Amino acid sequence: MGTFHDTKDPLHGITVIAETAGTVYVGRCHSRDAAEIELLDVDLHEEGQDDKTHAQWLDRAARFGVWTKHDRLVLPAGDVTSLRPLSDHVRAPGAAPVAAPAAAVAATTEKPAPESGGNAPVTLTDAARAEVARLIAAEDKPGTGLRLAVAGGGCSGLVYKVEFDTPTDNDVRFGVDDFEVVMDRKSSIYLRDVILDYQGGLGGRGFQFQNPNASNTCGCGESFSL
Amino acid sequence: MPYPEEMVAPMRAELTQAGVRELRTPEQVDDFFSDRSTTALVLVNSVCGCAAGSARPGLKLALENTNKPATVATVFAGQDLEATARARELFGDVPPSSPSMALMKDGELVHFVPRHLIEGQDANTIARELAAAFDQFCA
Repeated sequence: MGTFHDTKDPLHGITVIAETAGTVYVGRCHSRDAAEIELLDVDLHEEGQDDKTHAQWLDRAARFGVWTKHDRLVLPAGDVTSLRPLSDHVRAPGAAPVAAPAAAVAATTEKPAPESGGNAPVTLTDAARAEVARLIAAEDKPGTGLRLAVAGGGCSGLVYKVEFDTPTDNDVRFGVDDFEVVMDRKSSIYLRDVILDYQGGLGGRGFQFQNPNASNTCGCGESFSL
Repeated sequence: MPYPEEMVAPMRAELTQAGVRELRTPEQVDDFFSDRSTTALVLVNSVCGCAAGSARPGLKLALENTNKPATVATVFAGQDLEATARARELFGDVPPSSPSMALMKDGELVHFVPRHLIEGQDANTIARELAAAFDQFCA
């Protein structure tokens, strides 16, 4: 699959068609397991709705995309008979070409792409996001992002690094709320599925990494091994 | 809420340094579209990884094609909200997504690349498909 989702389910972050009995859903796949499938920015079509068959509706969706009706929908996995990328949809042979859209209509307001926690290899808690946003507002360095990295050292072998830095062409980059998170590719492997939290206030420990892949973590939480 | 400008500056520069005209106001969008007698491509830019890894580099590669639009511009979704909204008005009845690309000819949308055809694709694939559209509509 694509460049930025290789640490997740192959359909994570991909716009998919989810077919159930009578209803077809198109949305961005956020997560799926044996019990349920979570979709974001979802539109749906009932057979015959707007005088269109599912196939006709999907033909247009495949060409132009869909209008979001639901920010998030969770479908019981048992109800979904087919789940596949919208980009794989092929117009049925003999089907009429999808007409070009009508001329200018009223503008729609931009719905921000919910990258935070959606397509990201690293998840930031609400506290971490708020603290990063606060720090960024205090910074005055054009073009910087939040760099997360792993380096050798510490009592367990590897240490986490958090800093503001300028992204490079070789970085893995993704947007979270109002800022960009960057990682060098080697670090992105070690940081797969990591959760970055922030514990502030008196006695707070600052930024904390929760790494499900770590086999050993030192007492301070700053060093780990895999 | 827009990202801090200093954070998106490199995302803008990647395109403007490649000769893509940036449209930051509705007036600039209207001015760009005022000439309906030619071909024009508009990239709806975005902060997301699909734009960084696929859409922007893909467009830059595609612009090396022999056939290409007479003019190329970009609006920045989530950053220049009014300009993006105005551009989307002019694309027609197309759901908003970003990144995305609209190829116009004689003032009409003739080819559209929505986000779902960019996500998961590498830049070379995006470039090849854009070049094919350029060959079809810009020759």
